[in-house]
Amino acid sequence: MKIISMPERAVVKKDFREIWDSKMARNTLLVVPLLLAVAIPVLFLVVACNTPMDQINGVDSMMKLLPQEAKSFSLRQSMFYILTNTLFPMFFLMIPLMTSSVSAASSFVGEKERNTLETLILTPLSLKQIFKAKVLGCIFLSAVTTAVSFLSFAVIVSIGDIFLGMPFFLNWNWLVLLLFLTPGVTVFGVVFMVLVSAKSKSYIESVQTSGYIVLPLVLMFVGQFTGLFTLNAVIFLLVSVVVVLIDIPVWMIASRSFTAEKLLK
Amino acid sequence: MLFPLLSMESVPEMCYDVCTRWLSVGEPAIHTERLSKTYDGRVFALHDLSLDVAQGEVFGFLGPNGAGKTTSVKLLTGLLRPSEGSCSVLGLAPALRPGDVHRLCGVVTESAKMYKQMTGMENLLFFAQVAGLKTEDGRVRSEELLKRLDLWEARDKKLQAYSTGMAQRLSLARALVHRPKLLFLDEPTSGLDPESAQTVNEMIAAMAHDEGVTVFLCTHQLRYAQDICTTYGILNRGALLACGDLETLSRNAEIRMKAAVRLREGEEPQGFERGGDGWWRTDILREEEMPPLLKSVVAAGHSLYEARIVKPTLEDVYFRYLSLGGEAVSP
Repeated sequence: MKIISMPERAVVKKDFREIWDSKMARNTLLVVPLLLAVAIPVLFLVVACNTPMDQINGVDSMMKLLPQEAKSFSLRQSMFYILTNTLFPMFFLMIPLMTSSVSAASSFVGEKERNTLETLILTPLSLKQIFKAKVLGCIFLSAVTTAVSFLSFAVIVSIGDIFLGMPFFLNWNWLVLLLFLTPGVTVFGVVFMVLVSAKSKSYIESVQTSGYIVLPLVLMFVGQFTGLFTLNAVIFLLVSVVVVLIDIPVWMIASRSFTAEKLLK
Repeated sequence: MLFPLLSMESVPEMCYDVCTRWLSVGEPAIHTERLSKTYDGRVFALHDLSLDVAQGEVFGFLGPNGAGKTTSVKLLTGLLRPSEGSCSVLGLAPALRPGDVHRLCGVVTESAKMYKQMTGMENLLFFAQVAGLKTEDGRVRSEELLKRLDLWEARDKKLQAYSTGMAQRLSLARALVHRPKLLFLDEPTSGLDPESAQTVNEMIAAMAHDEGVTVFLCTHQLRYAQDICTTYGILNRGALLACGDLETLSRNAEIRMKAAVRLREGEEPQGFERGGDGWWRTDILREEEMPPLLKSVVAAGHSLYEARIVKPTLEDVYFRYLSLGGEAVSP
């Protein structure tokens, strides 16, 4: 059984093209992953390899964040370990969240703004099919961007690991984050934007609204560095469950609110 | 009283009676029964619309701005759900099965735009594919329509480079790409210069004739409507004032055809009234009255230079109904 029909595939392809033609969406899809998965890790790797360790302040409090298996690391190795396991996951999660919400904003709100949504609704495709094609298209685009970003990130961090003589970075934290939290966050970015699309009048407005969904990530980031908690595989798993539990009703509400009368108000 | 049926209370019943004449001919393409829509629960954008449009008709839906024409099209194409009443399009309920209705219908509205970043050909290929046509079939049909609508030379230009008239013709091609049985056209010539408007109207008429498509045409342009429509509905303030062919509408509004004669200067035929143009006119009920009338004019010793029958125009009928049944609109 095909996941999507030929007419639905045509909508997905058309959406990809429109996202690519939109300068803002294209820049976000290219710049955000490049910045968060390549530029920042490279910068931190260079800093970690070249900074004189005796000049770093707050080393003691930083070392407290280390788990048991990293206690034997040198100061330089410990620093890179902390970056890889506490800071980079937060940066990395921004990629599926931003790419999914920006592509959904273009696909749903952009189409409404350009007055082409009515034309699409007037085709033989049912609203369910249009919803499905658009949501799956955005999820696919975000998944591909995230996967490419992770591969680039993995190469950079692996080089750092080899250079600093550390074990391969991929641990349970990263596996749970990749396999559970990233898909959950991707879906959330898309369905949240579908909900916003019913209210938003413009693409810019909807992208601005998507800023709110980055807030929980910022809170997680702050929580770690204030010592409130240390993120590990179990916490990532719990957060993934919560995100999926939020995704389900939001998806259902978004799907139900996707009616011609509401969309064309 | 000029036309007793024109009181607002009795208008919907009268219209339904007139329109049901077509039911015996065949199953109607469009059927509405007391169809109503209110957006705020207080004011009705459309109230108690009951009509039938027979298959193969080119139905002109006429009315001033805000009369409820676009609301009617949106209800008939499933973009809106009725507040009261019901409707069916080719036997399907648009509110329940919009996708199936769209498979059989093509719709052109002022607010439904196409993709500016795509070329004319890409737009048509996309809509053909979404309508379920195979790639090759879609290409053949798109090429055929682009040629027919005089857009072949501009097929590889992006839509943003199209003029308003070209974009409107492309919308018409988009609505026709999946060979619909019924076309809903909401002001298809709005914003076009008279030349483009005439071209689009001629194409609508030709396609309705050649492909046997039923057309539901909302328009302000009464002269064009008279050229291409076979039957009409006149709507004002959400209520249907009248429905039928031009002859029926004229008869019911008591607008008669006239016999007009031009005689030698100074002659005054009995029973005629002189117009400002020097012609003498008198009401007649049927064309058959013309020959004996002319014989009597000649027998009375007048020198007859010219004679003609002046039939009521759609414009005459439209403004008569609006002035009697609703808000008067100046021509």
